[in-house]
Amino acid sequence: MKFDILIAGVGGQGVVLASRLLATAAIDAGYHVATAETIGMAQREGSVTSHVRIGDEVCGSLIPAGNADLIIGLEPAEAARNIHFLKKDGSIVVNEHAVIPSASANNAEYIPEQVIEFLKKNCQETINVDFTQLAKEAGTYRAANVAMLAAAAGADLLPFNPDELWSVLEKMVPEKYRELNRKAFDMSLEKVACIKDPEQQEQVQVMDI
Amino acid sequence: MTAKRILMGNEAIAFGAMKAGLQVASGYPGTPSTEVMETIASHASKYGIYAEWATNEKVALETAVGAAYSGANTLVTMKQVGLNVASDPLMSLSYIGVKGSLVILVSDDPGPHSSQTEQDTRAFGHFSNIPVLDPSTPQEAYDMAKLAFKLSHEMEIPVILRTTTRVSHGCADVVTEDIEQAGRDIEGYVKEPRWTIFPKLTAQRHPWLEDLQIRISDRFSDLFSENTFNSISKGNSKIGIASSGVSSLYTNEATNKQSGTFSHFKLATVHPFPEKAALEFLNDITDLIVIEELDPYLEEQFLQLIGRYHLDVNVYGKKNGHFPVSGEYDVDVVIEGVNSSLQAMNAEIPLLTHSTPVVARENIPALPVRPPTFCAGCMHRTVFYAFKKAAAKLKKENGKGTVFSGDIGCYTLGNAQPLNMVDTCLCMGAGISMAAGLSHTQQYQDGNYAKQVAFIGDSTFFHSGIAAMISAVYNNADITLAVLDNRTTAMTGHQPHPGIGLTAMGNPTKAIDIAEVLRSCGVDLVETIEADDLGECIETAKMAIEYEGPSAVVFKGKCVGITKATGQYVIDEEKCTGCNFCVSQLGCPAIFSMSSGVPQIQDNCTGCSLCAQVCPSDAITLREVLQ
Ligand code: SF4
Ligand code: SF4
Repeated sequence: MKFDILIAGVGGQGVVLASRLLATAAIDAGYHVATAETIGMAQREGSVTSHVRIGDEVCGSLIPAGNADLIIGLEPAEAARNIHFLKKDGSIVVNEHAVIPSASANNAEYIPEQVIEFLKKNCQETINVDFTQLAKEAGTYRAANVAMLAAAAGADLLPFNPDELWSVLEKMVPEKYRELNRKAFDMSLEKVACIKDPEQQEQVQVMDI
Repeated sequence: MTAKRILMGNEAIAFGAMKAGLQVASGYPGTPSTEVMETIASHASKYGIYAEWATNEKVALETAVGAAYSGANTLVTMKQVGLNVASDPLMSLSYIGVKGSLVILVSDDPGPHSSQTEQDTRAFGHFSNIPVLDPSTPQEAYDMAKLAFKLSHEMEIPVILRTTTRVSHGCADVVTEDIEQAGRDIEGYVKEPRWTIFPKLTAQRHPWLEDLQIRISDRFSDLFSENTFNSISKGNSKIGIASSGVSSLYTNEATNKQSGTFSHFKLATVHPFPEKAALEFLNDITDLIVIEELDPYLEEQFLQLIGRYHLDVNVYGKKNGHFPVSGEYDVDVVIEGVNSSLQAMNAEIPLLTHSTPVVARENIPALPVRPPTFCAGCMHRTVFYAFKKAAAKLKKENGKGTVFSGDIGCYTLGNAQPLNMVDTCLCMGAGISMAAGLSHTQQYQDGNYAKQVAFIGDSTFFHSGIAAMISAVYNNADITLAVLDNRTTAMTGHQPHPGIGLTAMGNPTKAIDIAEVLRSCGVDLVETIEADDLGECIETAKMAIEYEGPSAVVFKGKCVGITKATGQYVIDEEKCTGCNFCVSQLGCPAIFSMSSGVPQIQDNCTGCSLCAQVCPSDAITLREVLQ
């Protein structure tokens, strides 16, 4: 067994925490794990990535190009920036919410929708949701990372299920934020269930009425 | 009892050291080494260990040496450039040796991700005749930390445990053992002439030191049969691969599909080079591929050995261009290098293959770049902007320019656009000394420059700013120092320092007042102000620059990394004239400009109010006060 996950985002979005959560879940599930995280200078609003490698064998923590089974992009451009790591039949879970760099970086205009289109064109299994908005509805935009992990587990894109993931979160998230994260977690699970199974989506809508 | 848990390499080292009976630890924070001391400090009381942040690496090493002379098990931690600072005691120490044990944890940073250099600490081992261990995984880091203490105790010499970013900052499952309370029963300092270095003693000790190299080299050769971190595996061709550190793992993965082909010499006890084991390995091969990050250390060792014994083995590595001489390695780099070597030797072996990504890197469309910059609401942005404005005013008034010398810390990011306020940056503390040097040049004396301004952070001031300032004052340098005092060591993850009044172990201590230190260094004009009122900061900066003679301003503020946001600002669409001043002047990552219309403020605004202070139309206002 070998399962490689690349998490990409912007400094401050919680990439490192997300990778710790996945790594802990992997150990609890009985696998070896190796992660490579960006810490230090690059964290100050720069692009950050974390490589999480789960498997039976001990190996280096950097995922070779074309090897990732899953990319979790906390930000659209950061997902796209790392797409060369994705393998042919890999999947992407991407946050539609863009973090626009300060204009001082001299960038051409950044159109997040175009980036999402690019991802979808190149990866059939792309789940895109505004997880930041979803997390805001749950109580804080900071929980977007947790919502995205829930989405990946809920969509069966991780080597462990949502319950296993939540039991790790429960241990690692400080008590005062636990309820809020549980809410974001559940809302996200519901959301991907709808995306995966449009029939259920209709049911939900029917129930809404 | 053993337990398996997820640990960062640095945490694994801390646990290994504590398992080995660590008693005294000292260090200076530096990415990627910092978490070793942080982990020890947080467990210190529990296990009866003493742990501290020293003011710099030289002090840290000397502190550990003192404790080791008394027979204690000691550890000192730093990053690779920190070892340069500690190299003075280090070079003498190898002659004298230690009692107890002394392990020097040094983290290298190939890439480099967060450092001024890509220097290779293995070279320091070679230079100073100190053994170097080079683990490839967090588990090995744990095991080798224990080995390092054992070796140091037995051989009476310090041992360098050298890691690289991917080991220090990678997390993995690590099997650890229960830790006992560190015993306090050390022999204590015993007066002996051997602890006082003198030319005569040095001359006596040098042969011992050289002889020790041979003994340790033999010992390391023996380690190939005893454990897993040094290993030799035999392949079915005459091609061998030698590797060390994390490159060993890349090698395994790169050659995975043809693992039976190559013989592999995996080395974790890199210095002194285990010649006997290496010679044995060379017996069966005709071609050797050497895979290692940074310096061609192993390659040179092998070349020497092959030359010395007239062996018929070709070597492929950095020196003949098959592998990159700089930058970080990964599996893809290793595949390229091995293939290039195989081609050069005309081997009848299929080349290694890369995996095919869905999109090749070259085919990714242009994306917005995100150069690192100050956090939204960082006090440094206000101070740099204030100096920029003050200097512009002065230039207008008297036509003189100003040179800004930066330093190492978050505030190095003052170089980012649009602030662009770091004209020089070399190493810790150099901002002050370089400003002093600039002030003694003819060009400055001729009146072309208003003043040399140096920026330094609070922790860096204690690290190497004080001596530089004393020298500047003593030598009549006409400089202005801006101390960016955000009450923490921010870049490495918020460690306390002598200005804070807290020790690494969380005990209250005397806080050293930076302004008082500056006054006693002989700086006549020393001001302390809060860095939240831009107008006041500009005035103070201008006054300090205009002052004749050395002057200093301590700007006090808080790092937003450890404080809560105080509110969120919002741009009033009605009042905004679209001048884009807030965007073009400050570079706050919370503000972005739309191609049309009013700039927007994002969630990460912390409410520092700087943008509101520069907006000429009063269009930026506080939206809500967060509890
Ligand atoms: S971490 Fe603190 S000091 Fe560093 S850029 Fe952010 S706010 Fe400024
Ligand atoms: S108040 Fe303005 S300058 Fe300060 S953090 Fe918010 S957007 Fe940035």
